[in-house]
Amino acid sequence: MVLLDIKNLTLEIDISSEWVKALDKINMVIHEGQIHALVGESGSGKSLIVKAIVGALPKRWRITADRMTWKGQNLLTMSAKARRKLIRKDISVIFQNPIESLDPSLTLGKQLKEMLPRDQLTKTWFWQRNDEKQALAIKLLHKVGIKNHQLCLASYPHQIANDVVQKFMIAMALASEPKLIIADDPTRGMEVTSKTQILKLLSRVNQVRGMSVLFVSHDLLAISSMASYMTVLYCGQTVESGDLKQLRKRAFHPYTQALLDSAPSFRKDLPPKSPLSSLDGTIPTLHHLPIGCRLGPRCPRARRECVETPQIRRVHTHFYSCHFPLHWDAK
Amino acid sequence: MANVLLRYTNLVLVTLFILSLLSFLLAYLFPGQALENLTGLRLNELSELQNSQIKYSVDNNIFVQYWHYVGELFSGNWGVSFNTGLPLYEDVGRYLPASIELSSYALLLSFFIGLPLGFIAALRHHKLTDYSLLSVSLLGYSIPVFWLALIMILVFSLQLGWFPLSGRISLLFEIPSITGFILIDILLSDLIDKQSAFIDALRHLILPTVSIAVVTTTMIFRITRRSVIETLNSEFILAAYARGLTPTQVLMRHGVRNALIPILPLLAMQFPTLLTNAMIVESIFSWPGIGNWLIQAIYQQDYPAIRAGMLAVSVLVVIFTMSIDLIIRLTDPRRRRAERAAI
Repeated sequence: MVLLDIKNLTLEIDISSEWVKALDKINMVIHEGQIHALVGESGSGKSLIVKAIVGALPKRWRITADRMTWKGQNLLTMSAKARRKLIRKDISVIFQNPIESLDPSLTLGKQLKEMLPRDQLTKTWFWQRNDEKQALAIKLLHKVGIKNHQLCLASYPHQIANDVVQKFMIAMALASEPKLIIADDPTRGMEVTSKTQILKLLSRVNQVRGMSVLFVSHDLLAISSMASYMTVLYCGQTVESGDLKQLRKRAFHPYTQALLDSAPSFRKDLPPKSPLSSLDGTIPTLHHLPIGCRLGPRCPRARRECVETPQIRRVHTHFYSCHFPLHWDAK
Repeated sequence: MANVLLRYTNLVLVTLFILSLLSFLLAYLFPGQALENLTGLRLNELSELQNSQIKYSVDNNIFVQYWHYVGELFSGNWGVSFNTGLPLYEDVGRYLPASIELSSYALLLSFFIGLPLGFIAALRHHKLTDYSLLSVSLLGYSIPVFWLALIMILVFSLQLGWFPLSGRISLLFEIPSITGFILIDILLSDLIDKQSAFIDALRHLILPTVSIAVVTTTMIFRITRRSVIETLNSEFILAAYARGLTPTQVLMRHGVRNALIPILPLLAMQFPTLLTNAMIVESIFSWPGIGNWLIQAIYQQDYPAIRAGMLAVSVLVVIFTMSIDLIIRLTDPRRRRAERAAI
């Protein structure tokens, strides 16, 4: 069943009195029970997509989409109140910056209890409520592997180590028992052990409870260990999306290929001391976006036709948008 | 906690020591004899015996003199005024509460107006309400206090005759001074017509309070507005929205507290400005406060009075700002240390 269906999502940002397309015709479909990875360089607009989905963008920015639905309900046309209720119930976000996204002047316990939905509480009297909430909160913390719940609930966000706060954020995301968890770069700046713990936690949540996960990251190794489907983003455009195994075996878009090549752990045949491959140049700023395919100036296969935006092409479940795809001549 | 308390006490003590040292040195820096400036006594008017007794302790070196000076300060013997010959300690004790009373009412008034307006403007950021409030506040911010006070007198007491021109209370009432705060004193006193005295004191209060409060209100308004806008743009507010909380929930549970925390220390910084404005307004409204008294002392070159008045006012400012800082330091959860334990 399709949970989230996004077609041609475009976000325009007002930069010095000029409207710039920060997201240009994004397409993404998330199915139930799927771990969907969203990959891209920093500045490619991954977090903007997340914020556009949950509606946490400034009001003066323009969002348009051909389709942006949650289980068939249109997210863009529904009232703000209905959308908020839907998000409260079905979608949880784990933010990039766990400490920044928690209220610095409230204890973690209070913030976690705030997220517990009303219908999970069975007791009716207000003096019973608090005990029940406390019990539920402790249970949630145990689920994400925080053992010292007493200390954790009584602490303020800045008093706790980064990876523990990230686990706490996952507990907060689980509190409302959502259908979809959006993890926006949850392992940023973490060392390997805590990273694996977080990733394991997410995949366990996916397996045990059947929650879908939209995993936003640039860490290909982490993605390939858990995700089944991948969407590659470059500079606000979706360049390729498809089954992860297929993508790894046969990427059509030069950018996907470059991304995969840049991760040494994916290249078993890489001889020692050989130079690592990477695309020349950097991702363009929003002030200087190239026309047409935005990869154009950096693309090794770019030709004159690339100044026009390529149409989305499809091979089975594999979508890509490129005029001169890789592996195509051979076919 | 104890550590913080100790550090702040230390800081206050050191600051007070420096203040007392300065006030002692003022006696030497002012024209005339240091001894006269310190005590307020004219040496040639004293009897031979007293004169030699005082001279006896002056002949010691400066450190011994300072030691004596501090001892006298603590025993409440601050010298006498050149002009009136009254003891300064009692004078300051009588005039300072009047100033504190006036300033605190002005501060309260500006709190009750400035804070809500600041919140309203910030919640309507980039809208007409915000812009109009901001421009009105700019007007209030740039009006000189003495001019505003004069205009108020001109309009409300001379032309319209709504409020009395000057003073603290009508001369008809004789209020015994217990706390020094006139409204409290009236309530404590056993006058027959307490109520009319209270109303009369209030009518005297309104004009000076309002003229001080205008500037302070605009400052509080601007600080609040800035802080609320910053807080509402911070990441955890966006995150709270993204979790599906309603705007009211976000504002009440997460917005207000976090916006107020940075406001308080800035307000403590405004206290000296408030006191300065109060001094100017006092001398215009002939309010029997420390500012009026101090300005009179400056006019009449009453060096002992200047020294004592400055010491009293600066000690008040230091203790007030420090205690607000301390309260914030102790209550702000963001400054709390981490407990060392694994989770």
